Amino acid sequence: MVQSSPRYRLGIDVGGTFTDMLLLDETTGDLKSAKIPSTRPPEDAILAGIERFRDHDGVDPSAIGYFSHGTTLAVNTLLERNGAEVGLITTRGFRDILELRRLRLPKANDLLVPRPVPLVPRRHVAEVGGRLDAEGHETAPLDCEEIVAAARDLAAAGISTIAVAFLHAYRDDRHERQAKAWIAEALPDLYVCTSAETWPQQREYERTLISVINAYIGGRMLNYFATLARRAAELGIAARLFSTKSNGGIMSVEAAASRPVDTLLSGPASGVIGAAFIGRQIGDDHIVTLDMGGTSVDMAVIDGEVPYSNENTVGDFPVVLPAVDVSAIGAGGGSIAWIDQEGILKVGPESAGAVPGPASYGRGGTRATVTDAYVVLGICPPSGLLGGEMPIYPDKAAAAVGAIADRLGVSLREAADAILQVATANIYAGLVPQLARRGAEAADFSLLAYGAAGPTHIFMLAREIDVRRVIVPPAPGLLCALGCLVADLRADFVRSLWESASTLADERLRELYAALEAEALAWLENEKVEVSDVRVLRSVDVCYEGQSFEVNVLLADGPLDVATVVESFHAQYARIYGYADRKAPARLLEARVQIVGVTKRPELAARPEPARRGAPPPSSRRAVYEQGAAAEAQIFQRADLRPGDSFAGPAIVEQYDTTVYVPAGFTVSVDAWSNLIGERAS
Amino acid sequence: MSQSRPYSAVDGKAGLAILSNRFQAVVDEMAQALFRTAHTVFVKETQDYGAALVSLKGEVFAAPRRSGVLMMIGMPMDDAIAAISHDVREGDVFISNDPEATRGMCTHLSDVFLWKPVFHEGELVCYAWSFIHMTDVGGRTAGSIAPSSYEVYQEGIRIPPQKLFREGVLDEVFLDTFLINTRTPEQNWGDMKACLAALNTAERRVRELIGRYGRDRIVRGIDEVLDYAEAQARRVIEHVPDGTYRFSDFIEADMVGLGLIRVNLAMTIAGDGMLLDFAGTAPQVRAALNLPTYGKDGHWMLITGLVNWLCTQEPEIAYNAGIVRPMKVKIPKGSILNPEPGAAYGARYSTSHKVCDVTIGALAQAVPDELPATDSGQGSILLVSVPDFSTGRSKVSVIQPIVGGSGARPTADGVDGTMVILNFLRNVPTEMIEREMPAIVIRRYGLREDSGGAGRWRGGTGTIIEFETRSPYTTITSRAMERYIFPPAGRRGAEPGTTGFTTLNPGTGRERDIGKIDILELGPGDVLRIGTQGGGGFGDPLAREPRLVRDDLLNGFISEKTANDVYGVVLDATEEIDEAATARRRREIAAGRGWTVPPEFSFGPAREAYHARWPAGLHDAIAAATEGLPGLKRQLLHGLISERVERRLDEGTVPDTAAVAAIADEVLHLAGGRHG
Repeated sequence: MVQSSPRYRLGIDVGGTFTDMLLLDETTGDLKSAKIPSTRPPEDAILAGIERFRDHDGVDPSAIGYFSHGTTLAVNTLLERNGAEVGLITTRGFRDILELRRLRLPKANDLLVPRPVPLVPRRHVAEVGGRLDAEGHETAPLDCEEIVAAARDLAAAGISTIAVAFLHAYRDDRHERQAKAWIAEALPDLYVCTSAETWPQQREYERTLISVINAYIGGRMLNYFATLARRAAELGIAARLFSTKSNGGIMSVEAAASRPVDTLLSGPASGVIGAAFIGRQIGDDHIVTLDMGGTSVDMAVIDGEVPYSNENTVGDFPVVLPAVDVSAIGAGGGSIAWIDQEGILKVGPESAGAVPGPASYGRGGTRATVTDAYVVLGICPPSGLLGGEMPIYPDKAAAAVGAIADRLGVSLREAADAILQVATANIYAGLVPQLARRGAEAADFSLLAYGAAGPTHIFMLAREIDVRRVIVPPAPGLLCALGCLVADLRADFVRSLWESASTLADERLRELYAALEAEALAWLENEKVEVSDVRVLRSVDVCYEGQSFEVNVLLADGPLDVATVVESFHAQYARIYGYADRKAPARLLEARVQIVGVTKRPELAARPEPARRGAPPPSSRRAVYEQGAAAEAQIFQRADLRPGDSFAGPAIVEQYDTTVYVPAGFTVSVDAWSNLIGERAS
Repeated sequence: MSQSRPYSAVDGKAGLAILSNRFQAVVDEMAQALFRTAHTVFVKETQDYGAALVSLKGEVFAAPRRSGVLMMIGMPMDDAIAAISHDVREGDVFISNDPEATRGMCTHLSDVFLWKPVFHEGELVCYAWSFIHMTDVGGRTAGSIAPSSYEVYQEGIRIPPQKLFREGVLDEVFLDTFLINTRTPEQNWGDMKACLAALNTAERRVRELIGRYGRDRIVRGIDEVLDYAEAQARRVIEHVPDGTYRFSDFIEADMVGLGLIRVNLAMTIAGDGMLLDFAGTAPQVRAALNLPTYGKDGHWMLITGLVNWLCTQEPEIAYNAGIVRPMKVKIPKGSILNPEPGAAYGARYSTSHKVCDVTIGALAQAVPDELPATDSGQGSILLVSVPDFSTGRSKVSVIQPIVGGSGARPTADGVDGTMVILNFLRNVPTEMIEREMPAIVIRRYGLREDSGGAGRWRGGTGTIIEFETRSPYTTITSRAMERYIFPPAGRRGAEPGTTGFTTLNPGTGRERDIGKIDILELGPGDVLRIGTQGGGGFGDPLAREPRLVRDDLLNGFISEKTANDVYGVVLDATEEIDEAATARRRREIAAGRGWTVPPEFSFGPAREAYHARWPAGLHDAIAAATEGLPGLKRQLLHGLISERVERRLDEGTVPDTAAVAAIADEVLHLAGGRHG
């Protein structure tokens, strides 16, 4: 990769409503941003943004040396169910692997809970003979004719994409590879992927599903990446293109085209990576991130490290690939306020979404939303959002909230105030149990807000939760794009062991990890990217025999031995559960390796500790009403704030991509990186 | 606008939503804390734990909606509170697992409850409550539960309500005594610590809430959220037409030698309330199937079906004991639903599920379009034990939860392979079973084709699991196998589902139909195939959209014969619907069947034959003849009368009420007389 001194790094987050772009000038450390309405096809918006940088800012596309983007195309294809028709060939006796799932239904106490519909209809699932046992020994041979006939039948039914998933392929995938080879030979036009090559983890449903999803979204993603690459090149971009991953890392678009399943949860992951980057800058690694958009709040807990989970879901589907651990809470700026039949005010779970959106957006919405309450109370600038590009109609907000006020028999602002308090209680009720699930104590954490509504609501939430402080980064609406900009190359590899520590030989453990590491290094090598550092993180899931609660144990560098692994497991188990039974036999389940190719960190110019400058003059003042009290809020423009500035609530900070509301009782200072740091007034 | 006092949202009509949410946050956080620190299989795989906030009157005013046992809202805490009310201090933690001393809060010994009073400035505000299903609490069998146990003493150690902590100090003598009587002491103590973590979380949060909103507001809020849920529930009930709706069904206790046990319900809806009268329900039994409700209103093991219905009708309902306030209960003492002390309770789940079926069946007559057809009714866990010949010990593992399909819904097909009511159950990956148990080979695990009851909406199919053992002395046990005799009923002209079956060595000369399993020993090469029930259908099969029938046929959910003979759908050579032939076939079927108005329920030939021989009146007559007798006597007499009635029926005469009373008089002396 030879380039003529590229100057720029480009991070792009393609969201449902906007495509956010962040351009870093590596020579100056300056950031430029663009927010383009998202398009279908999604690359139109990306190219429009690049043209805008070229035409408005004089950025030569060929001077862009790094191009990383996150797309929701994979997750949308899956959720909207408009992927390819996939056929599945599986072990005889297990045709219903996708129908039965793991049985558990998504909703409780609902007699009408929808019957989950599999991605592959039952008639496109073929069973074939051939079987390996749990040790990988063949107990029944494959039959070439039978397999080719099954593939031929599927092809005759119009199927062009086939997933092959056999029992125990995580242990030995020779049957899967053989079947794939036979099909490729007989029917070279079919696209075939196998379960073990996609994710060789024990648990046949989850593994099969990953290969099926990969096949289901594959064609569309391949097209998209190819088109994007071609059109970017036409625009003069010489840089390699990268895609973000669910694990918070990036991979080349060539890698993404063959494993699109790795991009499923990349959107929320990027935000957390961006938040962690902000945290690193200011030396804070205990952060609860809150991304509040129109329909939900996505939360994550950075507890020293970016958190990962191997138990994620997308729609009806479990996705056991490692992903940044993000949970969604069903409350957002578009959540609709309503009065139930007992006359009680409720907010959500229904959302006005992007269309029609809040009443105040003037796009046809008539029902009061959380955003309309911000408008009525004076929290949202009446001049509109996105620097005035998006007008606000206060009269429409008043009409919508007024309908609620009439039914409650209270004033307009009281109704709006009540809507916000109910919404805050909703978010609280979603957030606090999620903290408990992760064993996180709020008082040890900072709250970092991003997304369009996060900074607007964060202080109202902080009032209810005893957190260290509140952080509002400089461009909260572009944090996902920042995450794209600063992500490392990152890939995960797994092998299922499922073996008792007492029978597992050190030699086998070492061989296994050696194989995993070789695979990981080969992956990185294949990405052909200059990295400043390579880290290989080895870990293993361990549980006590007969129990089903496993603990992920991080392994120290150096030669491995089973005894040390088991001892680390006991110690970690004791930390979580309070005691460990050192006599009880342990069992090693999944061996995991994550490789990180640390990309060159963008240098955002380092700044000196700001001098305390006190409160800047407000640009204006505005009456706000909240928590039953009217007040005069100082209005600041974010662009006018300088490091060292500080002020007390009630105050409102207006900026291009969001509005920060600081109620009375909080003080805010601007740190060296232009983050707003909020604390309770003492 | 001038106001003397600022408007406060939490006092107004928003207040309830705010407090309700905040209470919900406390219990959800409790459940997460408990789940995170517990570590036993019951917690992770079967969600058998609970957390709640309880008012001083003993009503659950907040309970988790998504995790753990979801029916905590109907757990009666009043007697547990009363039992210790004379001495409640800050820092105390109470414990009990005793159905008898808590009068129906606990329903078997395996569920151990811990609760903690929450004080604010010296005044008791509420209780934090939790329970966990312990792996073992002692008794005659490992795991403590066996259907064949017949007295509570066989089922483990009993703890009447008492203090585990006194003002923050652990009673170690008591704890050691309890733990030493169990087979899994460390796990049990781990479970208890998980509960304690949840209770402490709740205490802290409730105090924070009081700090935020004031004690008076919180205390008032507790009453208000309960009243709110009650008002919501009553509004839903009010739209149900007044009347008395009757339904009965049978627990199949043949595997413990007890035949069919009747659960009989007359549900009366009057305005916004309901009465569940279980008169005519069979006496308690000498098996672990007794359900100790103590006849408490809204008892959690009686209301699963009703709460599911309420939450379906009103998804935003406040989830607390206010929901069950309108559900009054009347249960004869000494019946299987209200046993006298000393009975065995361990396997009461089958009984509770049958009550669920019966309440749904009764309510379905009042609001037919709001309730599904009957589901598979079987929530059994299949265990396999294989000896390790080197150590002489056995290795035990779960093969699968053996559940069948859901009943079809009024607007949708049933869920295939699992039940809506047991929505939390998870299956076990075959790869995991074969890795854990190398002697077991799973040959098939899939849907049972053509088993869902035909209807406009098809019942969910059952499942089939087939496995082979390679080891001598392989032992299979299962509890709560159900519906091998009477299939799940169809609704509104639909067909019933199918009964379960168990076949040993299918397709060989040694093939045998072995019915329900209690304990079964297998040897090398033996193959066991278990088929679970398909749920009942809903609505006239001839009204099912031909397109859906075609899909079901092409996807193999139904056979060509069913498509043609029951649904009347005919496909042409290109597998497209032959409209004309379909219309013709449907007319033929309609003309040939015995009804024009669709029957509300179709129970299937087996149950119809049973009713022809044993009409409801005969059951009622026996119930009347044994009414009011002490439990054991009633049980014995019930059996003696039933035997003699069977003999008369064999002779061709059906005894009337007077004849049954006469039989009762004849045999009374065998049970020691009426007053003896």
